[in-house]
Amino acid sequence: MVNGYTASSLKEALTILAETNAVPYAGGTDLMLENRPGVKYLFLKKIPELRSITADERYIRIGAAVTFTEALASPLVPPLMKEAVSHIAAPAIRNAGTFGGNIGNGSDKADTVVVEFAADAKARIVSKEKERIADIDKVFLSRKHLGLSDGELIAEILLPRKGLERYAYTKVGGRQSQAVSFVSFAGVFGLENGRITNAAAAFGAAGDAVQRYRDIEKSLIGKTPDEAKKVKADYLRAYEERILVNQSRVGPEYQRIVCLNLLNDFLSRFGV
Amino acid sequence: MDKISHSVMKKDHAPKVSGRSVYVSDYPPEGVLCGKMLRSTVARARILDVDAPPLPDGYFYVDARDVPEENAVEIVLYDTPVFCRETVEYIGEPIAMLCGPDEKTVERLRDECRVRYEQLEPVLDPNRAQETFFEYKFGHGDVEKAFAEADKIFDETFETGYHEHAYLETQGMMAEPEENGRMFVHGSAQNAYYIHDAVKRVLGCGDGGVHALQDVTGGGFGGKEEYPSILGCQVAVAAHKCGKPVRCVLDRREDMQCTSKRHPSVCCYRAAVKDGRVTALDVDVLFNAGAYSTLSGLVLQRAVFMAEGVYSIPHIRVHGRAVKTNTTPCGAYRGFGAPQVFFAVETLMNHIARDLGVDPLVFKAAHLARQGDLTATCGRYHFPIPLPAMIEKIDRACGYRKKAVSYGQPQSGRYRRGIGLSLCSHGGGLNGATENELTKSVVRLHKNADGTVEVLAANGEIGQGLRTTFPKIVAETLGLPLDKVFYDHPDTARVPNSGPTAGSRSILIAGELLRRAAVKLREQWADGQEQEVEEHYHDPDFLIPFDMEKMEGDAYPAYSWSVSVIELEVDTLTGISKVLGAYGIFDVGTPIDRNIVMGQMEGGFLQGIGFASMEKMAYDRNGFIRNNNFADYLIPTAKDVPNLKTMLHVESYPFGPYGAKGAGELPLVGAPAAYLAAMEQALGGRPLHHVPFTAEDTILALAKEER
Amino acid sequence: MADIRFVLNGKETEYHGSATERLLDVLRNQYRCTSIKCGCREGECGACAVLIDGILHNSCCVAAGAVDGSSVVTLEGYRETARFAALEKAFAAVSAVQCGFCTPGMILAAEALLSKNPHPSEDEIREGLSGNFCRCTGYNAIVNAVSGAAKEGNGLW
Repeated sequence: MVNGYTASSLKEALTILAETNAVPYAGGTDLMLENRPGVKYLFLKKIPELRSITADERYIRIGAAVTFTEALASPLVPPLMKEAVSHIAAPAIRNAGTFGGNIGNGSDKADTVVVEFAADAKARIVSKEKERIADIDKVFLSRKHLGLSDGELIAEILLPRKGLERYAYTKVGGRQSQAVSFVSFAGVFGLENGRITNAAAAFGAAGDAVQRYRDIEKSLIGKTPDEAKKVKADYLRAYEERILVNQSRVGPEYQRIVCLNLLNDFLSRFGV
Repeated sequence: MDKISHSVMKKDHAPKVSGRSVYVSDYPPEGVLCGKMLRSTVARARILDVDAPPLPDGYFYVDARDVPEENAVEIVLYDTPVFCRETVEYIGEPIAMLCGPDEKTVERLRDECRVRYEQLEPVLDPNRAQETFFEYKFGHGDVEKAFAEADKIFDETFETGYHEHAYLETQGMMAEPEENGRMFVHGSAQNAYYIHDAVKRVLGCGDGGVHALQDVTGGGFGGKEEYPSILGCQVAVAAHKCGKPVRCVLDRREDMQCTSKRHPSVCCYRAAVKDGRVTALDVDVLFNAGAYSTLSGLVLQRAVFMAEGVYSIPHIRVHGRAVKTNTTPCGAYRGFGAPQVFFAVETLMNHIARDLGVDPLVFKAAHLARQGDLTATCGRYHFPIPLPAMIEKIDRACGYRKKAVSYGQPQSGRYRRGIGLSLCSHGGGLNGATENELTKSVVRLHKNADGTVEVLAANGEIGQGLRTTFPKIVAETLGLPLDKVFYDHPDTARVPNSGPTAGSRSILIAGELLRRAAVKLREQWADGQEQEVEEHYHDPDFLIPFDMEKMEGDAYPAYSWSVSVIELEVDTLTGISKVLGAYGIFDVGTPIDRNIVMGQMEGGFLQGIGFASMEKMAYDRNGFIRNNNFADYLIPTAKDVPNLKTMLHVESYPFGPYGAKGAGELPLVGAPAAYLAAMEQALGGRPLHHVPFTAEDTILALAKEER
Repeated sequence: MADIRFVLNGKETEYHGSATERLLDVLRNQYRCTSIKCGCREGECGACAVLIDGILHNSCCVAAGAVDGSSVVTLEGYRETARFAALEKAFAAVSAVQCGFCTPGMILAAEALLSKNPHPSEDEIREGLSGNFCRCTGYNAIVNAVSGAAKEGNGLW
């Protein structure tokens, strides 16, 4: 077809990617906003390997071309991710938008990416020559910056099977649907034998980045919730200093206050 | 319910619901040139030159030099140019139009044009404006004395922002040179005659040289009152130069950036209170009109005329100004100046009541105007004012009083609630003496030999139902089945000028003329003959004539009334508020069609709630509007206000058709004040002063409280 | 290179133009499916909604190449169905059409909803229509119309 390639297998797609400058096209909802003149698309929709949701011992594996609507219908997708996905835009966009595309378009407001940060998700990256598994924060670097080389394609998103049961998720947008996030928050909490094992907190849409601060999280690890309460003020102050904010749809002060409010609420829910 | 109020299937239902209606962008493209506008990227500058790329055969560059007569669009004044004169006065001002057969080529040529500007210092702050387009002053009583004798004086300033119409169909017009030399201009519009008159002047062709048709129109809300005159002149000039049909349909960003909106306002209200009553109001209204005057004068008139709200205050002084800034020209929007002042006066009354320790609704009720009272312009409220009964009805429907007491208690916790109420009126028809002295509406009924009757009028169906309600009035009067009477989109070649589709006047003024014409036709009815009757407007006898010099007399013949209640819940962690319920009761006289009127009430109310809450638009320090798309300018979706309940209260108007009054604008007017009052209560009672009041405002207000 | 082959309103067709064209433009310009409206071109308003393999999409955000091998339904095709007749009647009964510009998208959004969920609650209807802006009605009439169609058209979905 003119200005486009359709691949029916991953192998075929990777060959096209290696040999042309085609842009991978999954759902189109972001690509078509700009629809850059002169662009050629590589259509991924017909590649079965990219369209399935499976599970192995450690991971739920979501194909990069799986749509948000498909994920909502799958019993394998964890509730945290479903909650985030259910608040994305509106049905027509959820029918088209995909997990790979949400990372690939490089938006700091991508709601699934925030969850992936909090969940310690990984991405399987493939190219004609090789494949690799990368942590999500090595794939999504910052707004419009991806850790992908030429010819590489996101094939799957890997969400841990365990440890996502205790979570908090909030999307803050200007209306009840079709809203671009002002701020989004995903938190994952872990508690074993009365001690905190995980307090992952990820922030989206603030300061043009998806943010997570593992060093601050560490200050709670190994503590009981009661012990953690005692250092909570310091912990919140540390976030207050670190969180990046800017002037976008909402101003920096709003972003900072809401991020901290949601963080505080997240810990409170789990007794901290 | 009156017989006429029973709902029927709308006459334009079938073509619209099946997607067969032809909007201006739906005409086949063959033989039609596509026009794209080259627009200013700076707020104020002298144009030194434009370097346009070489144009392929069949492509044209059209600018002010191509205007056959004067480069001035007739609106109220003539300051708006068709294409910019020596200077550009706002970001987005049209410099030229590129035309040609292929849209992408036209876009590329447009984008390759290089404009050299000599930048001039723009005026962006209306408080520092150097030019006042319109200024009005009037009042009655002894304001100085009342303030001198006051127990307490309140002095508050209220602000409202831009409000964008966000009609689903963007602006679009098309001009076609006809073989007989006439220019045919048609498109998405409210007023075919405005376009007709403006194009006639620009082409210098006389009435016979042009005709204008309103195509099926995808929403107006005032946004297609004056703007299509500008776009209509632009495509007409282009078609005149190219000798071919030219169509220009704006894209969404262009439309939001460059076309008219509701005027941002600053209203300063001073109130004198003596013995627990407001004895005097001193009002100063400032409207940011943008770069050209367009309809700002008329919009400002309605604002100042209604500055007193629904009250009768013995001493009042009103001063209003619409000033020039180097920003997008503002214009008509549903409510037409009234939403800004009702927001201010209703909020002020709440604040005064709370300060005095009185329940706001009790306080307001004590100040309500009554039949026979003076209006702000020394006219009279000639007819009953049904607000007290309406307040009781809405209280029963939503439990306002009980909730107001309950939410008035101190609240802690994440989610906090509030409920607010506002009282409004809306005068039907154009301001003051306009109807009688300037518009002088004419309607005709044409009876065909087969007994069918065509309504000939100029008011445009823009979704509000005129293609159905006009025939209903006529059919009812003639005793004909509805399918024997029809009303098509107006073409100035065929219909008389029954005035603009504006000011909640189509049913009130033109509809009554049609009823009278139908009575006349009934009296002369002769089977099998072609017949035509005509009816002309004159003010009803009871009206106190309006003196435009003194600003005295009846500004409007009849008022419609509303009580709006909004109940909301604020999430104190995120600032997001959820409207739990929006309840409105509206008196628009007899509904000519219940479904149609309810559709107006619900749609208008939701637009008002959007204006109060999420619809934020502003320009940056360069004068550029960033919220120029649907992702950044948020309008309500189906999920935002699910519990929106409206009711009608009928106080029929003896001089309107079957008792109808103006309807279209009223439901929007009360929403901002009700919303802000609910917000104030949820946030603990501290007075607030602006809309839209967004999630960000909420969080910043809560943060301030904590400090 | 092979052309883009798809089924439009039940008829097989080949499109020879660029795969990067917006489906919205291709359907409106090449196929004259002018029931599809362009409200924003940015996937926000839903006026350009179509069904692709039975699933609701905003055609402004779909590249022509993406429908290769798919079946596309617009109101031009859908209006010939009994389901449309039920929706048309229900929309008429409550005067849910005002300016009409959002209506084609609303009708197809309603079809997409009802085909998955024949008896939706009010909340589910509002969710189903939440990507389709209407500036005229305040949505109540449209929600009532869809609810009415679901009741009256019992068995159609």
